[in-house]
Amino acid sequence: MTSRYRLVSIGLHLVMSVWTLFVLAPLCLMFVAAFKSQADIFTRPLGLPRTLSFAAFERAWGIGIGGFLFNSVVVTALSVTLIVVVSALAAYVLARASSRRMQALYLLIVAGFAVPVQSVLVPLYQLVSAAGLLNSQIAIVIPYAAYGIPFTTMLFYAFFLEFPRELEEAARLDGCSRFQVFWRIVLPLSGPVVASAAIFQAVFNWNEFILALMLLTETRVRTLPVGIYGLIGQYSADWPALMAGLAIATVPLLIVFVAAQRHFVRSMSGLGK
Amino acid sequence: MPSLQIDTVVKSYDSFTAIKGVSFTAEPGEFIVMVGPSGCGKSTLLRSIAGLETITSGAIRIDGRDITHAEPSDRGVAMVFQNYALYPHMTVAENMGFALKMAGRPKTEIAAAVAKAAKILRIEEHLHKTPKQLSGGQKQRVAIGRAITRAPDVFLFDEPLSNLDAALRSQMRVELGRLHAELKATMVYVTHDQTEAMTMATRIVVMNAGLIEQVGSPLDLYNRPRNRFVAGFLGSPRMNFIKGRIVAAGGRTVTIMAEGLTMPIQLQIEPDADVPAVGDVVTLGLRAETFGTGAPGQIAVPARVAVVESLGRETLIYADAGNLRTFDSESQDGYLAAHRSSQVMLRPGDPLTLSIDPAAFYLFDRNGETLRFPPVSS
Amino acid sequence: MTDVTQQGPLSPRGRRDMLSGAMLLPALALVSLFILAPAVYAIVGSFFEFTITSRNWVFVGFGNYVRAAGDPVFWTALRNNAFLIVGSAITQVGLGTILAAILDRGVRRGNAIYRTIIFMPVVVSSIAVAFVWILILDPNVGPLNAIVKSLGMRPPKLGWLGDPQISLWMLLVIAAWQNVGFQMILVLAGLQSIPKELYEAAALDGAKGLRAFRYITLPGIRNVLIVGTLITVVGGLKVFDLVFVTTGGGPANATQVLGTYSYLQAFRLGNMGYANAMSVVLLAIAVLFGWLQLRLSRKA
Repeated sequence: MTSRYRLVSIGLHLVMSVWTLFVLAPLCLMFVAAFKSQADIFTRPLGLPRTLSFAAFERAWGIGIGGFLFNSVVVTALSVTLIVVVSALAAYVLARASSRRMQALYLLIVAGFAVPVQSVLVPLYQLVSAAGLLNSQIAIVIPYAAYGIPFTTMLFYAFFLEFPRELEEAARLDGCSRFQVFWRIVLPLSGPVVASAAIFQAVFNWNEFILALMLLTETRVRTLPVGIYGLIGQYSADWPALMAGLAIATVPLLIVFVAAQRHFVRSMSGLGK
Repeated sequence: MPSLQIDTVVKSYDSFTAIKGVSFTAEPGEFIVMVGPSGCGKSTLLRSIAGLETITSGAIRIDGRDITHAEPSDRGVAMVFQNYALYPHMTVAENMGFALKMAGRPKTEIAAAVAKAAKILRIEEHLHKTPKQLSGGQKQRVAIGRAITRAPDVFLFDEPLSNLDAALRSQMRVELGRLHAELKATMVYVTHDQTEAMTMATRIVVMNAGLIEQVGSPLDLYNRPRNRFVAGFLGSPRMNFIKGRIVAAGGRTVTIMAEGLTMPIQLQIEPDADVPAVGDVVTLGLRAETFGTGAPGQIAVPARVAVVESLGRETLIYADAGNLRTFDSESQDGYLAAHRSSQVMLRPGDPLTLSIDPAAFYLFDRNGETLRFPPVSS
Repeated sequence: MTDVTQQGPLSPRGRRDMLSGAMLLPALALVSLFILAPAVYAIVGSFFEFTITSRNWVFVGFGNYVRAAGDPVFWTALRNNAFLIVGSAITQVGLGTILAAILDRGVRRGNAIYRTIIFMPVVVSSIAVAFVWILILDPNVGPLNAIVKSLGMRPPKLGWLGDPQISLWMLLVIAAWQNVGFQMILVLAGLQSIPKELYEAAALDGAKGLRAFRYITLPGIRNVLIVGTLITVVGGLKVFDLVFVTTGGGPANATQVLGTYSYLQAFRLGNMGYANAMSVVLLAIAVLFGWLQLRLSRKA
């Protein structure tokens, strides 16, 4: 019995390890290749770098990764702030309303979740270019915000439904206006769900590609994913510089993820409800 | 010490009416307890007084001032909630002073009011803790302290003790009584616990199905319930109800044959009640503590012990007396409840003789209105 | 029923409604303007022919849809989407569930490390994923070829991504590499929400092992599995970045999907109306699955 249990246990560990190594290998390859020389890439595809050289990072930085990084930070920060604020306000009003009209408005917002951005590329392009907002980092923040709102509103809505009403009633008796109830009582107690939503949307917008590809056609305004993609034609042979650029784009997210893992899990378990 | 006047208040929702036109006045300094089964509208009425519900029609006045449409915070009421409703992100002191802070009072005044309330409730050493660090009883004190800090015209309590364990609950009952005596404030208290109602109220409001059944002092309601609902609601164990029929009537005296009793019972009808006609169905009521010990003039009923509940000094006996059964009790078995103020060595199945003093009978007409109260023995 | 509080525009109720409206407006405006209106506009635009620059819309009725029906590349794209949807649902939900089950009950030691590493690719941008895999699969410098050769086997002549017979399968592998962690965490959350007492009660009732799985575990994670499957399905429908960067739809349109093909038609070939028509097909399928998700998860 115990030996059979041990055998099963070893087998299960084996399954987990195999997939873990499979996941880890390409990530490691990215970092290893970023430290290799161009010659090493060709002559020793499986080898480790012979010297720890930051030359590839310098080349990547030299061709504009720094600017992309800055654009990504600005766009992500602004869009996430907008998403969280706008969604929280709307979700609170909707979660506290009972009328059919308000439920219909909730469904209207949530319906946006079912529309893939790929299916509205042409109209979005027309809309943004008609507004003269092509090639503006600020302009892309607004569609990013719009596409983040439905899911974030759902997340907040579920949280606010569970929020103890007695606290809000006590606050009303204590003299809070409706907005003060939200601002002084509900929001300070919504830290976990705000963090979950913010981190989820930050990852999503940091990595967003197709809208950036379509709306940011000039190199100077591009964010990391589309910026790096745009460099490929010119520098296609320079694998170490490309991998260094990707590492710069990826490391911040991995740090955020490892530091805030539980927030990911929380917003995901919200999906299962 | 203002009064609180509830004037023909109606509260309707889309498809049902929670309060169907209710009026009463709490005199200055009164401790009013509203009781009733769940769904009777007592909590809705309390929340309407607080301004958390908008009433459909009627008026609510505090000291003659119409507050029917006032914002909750402008009504001069403070409320203690069932689940305490303390703000988890504020300290005890901040919780208690929040209303004054929202009213824009100076910091020193807030601190003084908080300190005073904390002293009354003996929670001074907890002022800098957060609610999470407090026990249930302490949380409840803070919630009460928050109300006191506001110095409201009327205190509202929404089942504030229902989350506490039994020992703490009886301790808090005493404390609330002391608080009421000390503050001399007008208080309205909602509960489904008749012990809280009996022990704390200056007057009890019994509600049922959106209407007031009776308003009166605890003993008045216990001794002279206006109808069968109030008679059954107050008193533990519940009053025994026995079906009967009027077989003769003369003047204000009626003769009743009770189901399960061979001997007819003669009772005097109260002066202000209508004398029932011969053949009418009536209900006899008998409180558990009125079963006697077999004195002359009492009716002896042979029975068998069904269940014995020893409460220490006292004993409750549920007796199977054949056809003499109580109806509308929560358990459907019809056992008569008898209360003995002593320890009793009885086991289920043991034979037992119940002695009924005919003078102890309540009598209710077919609609449940009281026809006769037993005389109050002092 | 008359409401006693309605006393003109400045009543408390009126002010409250104004505030609600103000709090709701930004979300409604953004969603309407950037999601719902474009969706309607895409449907309208699918009945016209026009280019990026021209303001001149020519009404063609169902012409764009007829064109799609006769366009073999459109059908290839649709078939490829279907392949990726079914393949992803099987590999990602299947593997995710197996790994989650092992994490939930099978292994104690290393639990957190497995979980953290397997989820990592989810936060990596699909552009980075695509380029790293391009390097891995590169016929000249890629480690995969080096490994295959060192094992004495011969790698595909046209390259892993250059051979249309193989490249779609490679896309499936890459998608699984990136997304299995997501499904695993989703299912794990579902498994951990099942109260332990249920298993104890079931054991007392004589249900252990497979029967406990059938009567306790499966109903407990049913919702999560539905949601996970539908997320994968919609993901397979919307796939763009990965295909766009790795194969660009090639070779010879063999790996084209709806997303890349409509992008090609709109922004490379200037057939905006035709692209709209294909987008509407994608939208219709997405809305259908969205509705399905709502229906199925409500039922449980």
